[in-house]
Amino acid sequence: MSLLFADELIKNYDGVRALNKVSLRVERGTIKGLIGPNGAGKSTLFHLISGMERSDSGKIYFKGKEIAPLKPYEISRLGLARTFQTLQVWGNMTVVENVLTGMHTRLRGGFFSSGFWLPWVKRIEDEALKEAKEVLEFLGLLGKWTWPAFQLSFGEQKMLEMGRALAMRPDLLLLDEPAAGLTPAEVQKLADKICQIRQAGITILIVEHHMGMVMGVADEVAVLHNGELIAEGTPHAVRNNPQVIEAYLRGKKVDA
Amino acid sequence: MVEENHTEFRKRDLLFTAALWLLSLILPDPHFPYRRELIKRRDLFYLGALFVLPLIWSSSHFHHLMVLAGIYAILALGLSLFLGYAGQISLGHAAFFGIGAYTTAILTTRYGIPTFVAFWASAVMAAVFAYLIGKPILKLKGYFLALATLGFVEIFLVMVRETPALTGGVIGIFGVPWFSLAGFSFDTYFKQYYLVWGVLIGLILFSKNLVRSKIGRALMAVATSEDAASAVGINVVQMKIGIFVVGAAFAGFAGSLFACIMSTANPEAFGLGFSVLVVMMVILGGMGNLYGPIAGAIFLTWLTDVLGRFQEYSLSIYGLIFILLLIFFPDGIGARLNIRLIYLISYWGRKKRREKKEI
Repeated sequence: MSLLFADELIKNYDGVRALNKVSLRVERGTIKGLIGPNGAGKSTLFHLISGMERSDSGKIYFKGKEIAPLKPYEISRLGLARTFQTLQVWGNMTVVENVLTGMHTRLRGGFFSSGFWLPWVKRIEDEALKEAKEVLEFLGLLGKWTWPAFQLSFGEQKMLEMGRALAMRPDLLLLDEPAAGLTPAEVQKLADKICQIRQAGITILIVEHHMGMVMGVADEVAVLHNGELIAEGTPHAVRNNPQVIEAYLRGKKVDA
Repeated sequence: MVEENHTEFRKRDLLFTAALWLLSLILPDPHFPYRRELIKRRDLFYLGALFVLPLIWSSSHFHHLMVLAGIYAILALGLSLFLGYAGQISLGHAAFFGIGAYTTAILTTRYGIPTFVAFWASAVMAAVFAYLIGKPILKLKGYFLALATLGFVEIFLVMVRETPALTGGVIGIFGVPWFSLAGFSFDTYFKQYYLVWGVLIGLILFSKNLVRSKIGRALMAVATSEDAASAVGINVVQMKIGIFVVGAAFAGFAGSLFACIMSTANPEAFGLGFSVLVVMMVILGGMGNLYGPIAGAIFLTWLTDVLGRFQEYSLSIYGLIFILLLIFFPDGIGARLNIRLIYLISYWGRKKRREKKEI
């Protein structure tokens, strides 16, 4: 059984069909890339999966459970973490607090126990802090753990957003254009981190414009064009698929 | 010449540095370091100052002002959790204050329940109302939420005026007994000062714990980006309701103290103007900072008292001061005061040096 299975999703925006019967499977333990030109419906698909928007028809199964009718926070509690295309780091909080907030659902404690700072709340907070620092160390941000997040560079903020998602200990990580706006060196580092995350047993679905990174990292690539899935397969097969070259790359051969 | 100025060591510089260091000890921190400690050194300083202040300044009028300021500070503290941390607007806080005051007044005068019990009952009552109100209206955002809470204040006032059997109608309820605890009655402003500020300190500790826990982080996350908050599994609506209820419970405590100290509860005290005043306390004092609303409450109480002497001009002076404060302290007195003071001190230093050079 696939970890994530989207079945014939249809989504319309005021007469524009953003997704037309798109089906997508993500197998456990793999990295799947999702590419396509601007306006192809990649982000729409992401929003549907993470529950921020409702599809007009079609079903989405995560771990065999239908998630389409659930609210976004319920979906993330099932073990589905995501990052955003436009950065959504909480700039007024410190770096470590951003990561700690990612652990929200895993930490016990309500308004009363936190307000009275019961002994076990302190213990949980200490453990959470230790774990958050481990996440930051993995991403190379440990040196700046007390900085306000808005003072980080753009690339570091992207990393921090990924760290926040990782702190949730998700089964599936959705990365929305993680390499957009990064320098080549940062992209390389990101690709390394993504491979390491997969080795830790987390399945990843990436939407990306940066061809080189997706082709290098992904086990399987799906291509969206005008709201339809036109090709799916290994990076090598997709790169040589005539339909992809025709529709998406306008006759140019994919480099890298 | 210029080089000389740079290398020359002055005694005055030492003085300024010392002054800055002293200020840095007592003024609130404008930055956001990782909030882990419950009590810092400057908190002990505030605590000491609060304790000795009424002993040194022993005028009854001052005690009365500080009692009022303390009650408003409790109210503003509760609102600042909702407004400053969770980033939601509520113009309805006066209603919860009123619910607290009426609960205490009714329980003590009609049923002879001890004030200490009524004190807790007021908070519970305000919290219950906040839950019932918050459940439907906290799905609204921004202006709509502000309008809905504003409507709630009006409905509350109408209900109070139109049920004279329960609330005494327009006249209100008189003869609420002094707050008393285990036979000790808080019957002077001096004693009430310690009562009110003691309650406030307890609530500050509660709020501080809340803010540094996962709840506080979730609140700030909700304030900045609701999409990102729900992406990490935070139930945004539940968080908002929770903090609304906590803020209302604080208002209930404040209302109960108010009723005991004024020995009355009447609808005049809980109108829309009062709601706006509390919001101004939070905004002027500084949002996203627990000391800000307290500073704002003290400042506004004092200002209202001073301007009371200039009857007819008081409102225009009031407005002028608000505008000036919002221009020069856009993120609140608490957050900007030390930056401004440091700037002023260094400005005096430069000015004196310039004058000397000209001579």
